[in-house]
Amino acid sequence: MRRRPGISGLQGAAQARDQYRSLGDNVAKVRQDQMKEQLETFRHQLEEFASKHKNDITKNPAFRAQFHTMCAKCGVDPLASNKGFWAELLGIGDFYYELGVQIVDICLATRPRNGGLIDLEELRSLLAKRRRAVSITEDDCLRAIGKLKKLGGGYEVFSVGRRKLVRSVPMELNRDHNLILEIAQPRGYVTVEEVQSELGWTHGRAIDALENLLKEGLAMVDDGAPNGKRHYWFPCVGPSSSVESEAEL
Amino acid sequence: MGEFTFPYFYNYPPYFTLQPVKDTREKQIQLWKELILRFCKHHKCFVIDLEGEFALFENTSIQRKLSFEAREQFLGALIADGRAEWLDKNHRKCLILWRRIQDWADLLLDFVRENGIELMTLEEIISGDETHGTELAGIDRGVLIRAVKILEQRGRAAMFKGSSTDDDGVKFSPN
Repeated sequence: MRRRPGISGLQGAAQARDQYRSLGDNVAKVRQDQMKEQLETFRHQLEEFASKHKNDITKNPAFRAQFHTMCAKCGVDPLASNKGFWAELLGIGDFYYELGVQIVDICLATRPRNGGLIDLEELRSLLAKRRRAVSITEDDCLRAIGKLKKLGGGYEVFSVGRRKLVRSVPMELNRDHNLILEIAQPRGYVTVEEVQSELGWTHGRAIDALENLLKEGLAMVDDGAPNGKRHYWFPCVGPSSSVESEAEL
Repeated sequence: MGEFTFPYFYNYPPYFTLQPVKDTREKQIQLWKELILRFCKHHKCFVIDLEGEFALFENTSIQRKLSFEAREQFLGALIADGRAEWLDKNHRKCLILWRRIQDWADLLLDFVRENGIELMTLEEIISGDETHGTELAGIDRGVLIRAVKILEQRGRAAMFKGSSTDDDGVKFSPN
C-alpha cells in the first residue's frame, strides 16, 4: 500500500486496518465452524463405528487393542469417563470396570499365598479362565489396573527382569528386593549364598533384604532341602507360581 | 472312593517348613488343618500317631517332610478348633474329628431311620453288611460310642452290654 500524507490518509489507513481485521475475523470464524463441523462428523462416525463394532470390541482382544490405538491417535480416551457416550454406547467403561473388579478379586484370593504380589501372566490366565468365553490380553489387564490405580489401594505394575508383577498391597520394594526377585525367577527360590555370589553382596546385605521380603509375606523359608541350605521361596515368581493355583479359586 | 487330590501347596517345598513370620505361619497352619481333615476323611483315618509314619506328612516327590514340631503345631491347631483330641497324656496319638461327634450322631440316627433299624451291635455298625458302603462303615469304635451317648441323651438310643464286647449293642428309638 502506498503511503499518502495528511489526515485523510491516516484515517484511510485506519479504516483499511479495520476492514482487514473484520475480514480476518470472518475467515477465522468460518474455519472454526468448519472445524467444529468436521469434529462433529468425526465424533459421529467414531460413535457409529463403535456401536457397530461393539461386539467385536468387547469380544475380540486384537480388535479391542486396535480400537484403543486408533482412539489414542485421535486423542480420544474411551476409558476416561464412565458417564460419557462411550459408556452408554459400548459399555466399554464397564468392560474394564468389570475386569478391574475381577482383578481385585483374584489379587485378594491369591494374597494368602503370594503376599500380594502376582505375576501378570498368572493373573491374566486366571482372569481368562474365570471369564471363559472372552479372552483377555496383557494390554487389557494393564488398562484395567491403570484404572484401579486411580482408586488408590496400591495397585501397581512393575517389571522384574523380563516379567511384569502386579502389586496389590502397598509395600516398600527397593532395588535390592527387586534384584533378588529377578535372580529367584528361574527356579522360584534363592539361597543366601546365591544372592551373595550373583549380586556381589555382603552376607549382611543379602540376609537383610531376604528377611525384609519374609516379613512382607513375599517369601517363605524352606529348611528341608537335601543339601541342608535354607531356600527362600517366592510364590509370586518362578515355575511353580502359575501351575497349580487354579484349584483354590 | 476317588483319587485324593492334593492342593497346590502340597508340592511347594516351603509349606513343609514351619514359617518364622507369624502371618505367613497362620496361613500355612490354616491350609494344613484343612488338608489334614480332608485327607483323613478321604481315607477314613481316625488316629494319627505323631511318632509313626503318616503318609500325608511326607511328600517324596519333592523330598520334603514335616518336622516333629510342625506336626505338633498343626495338630495342636486342630485341637484348638475342636477338630481333634489327644488320646494320651504324652500327646503322641491324636484323634482326628473330620466329622464332629455331633454330626456322627445325626448320621447314625438318619441311617437307622431310613433303614427302619431298631437294634444293632457296635460291631455291626462298624463293619456289618447293613452299613457296608455307607459313610458309617469303618467308624472308630470310640467315636461311635460317643455318638451313641449323644443319642442316649436325646432319648433316641440306649446302649446295652452284650456277653462280650463284640456283642455290645444299641437299641434305637428313632421316632
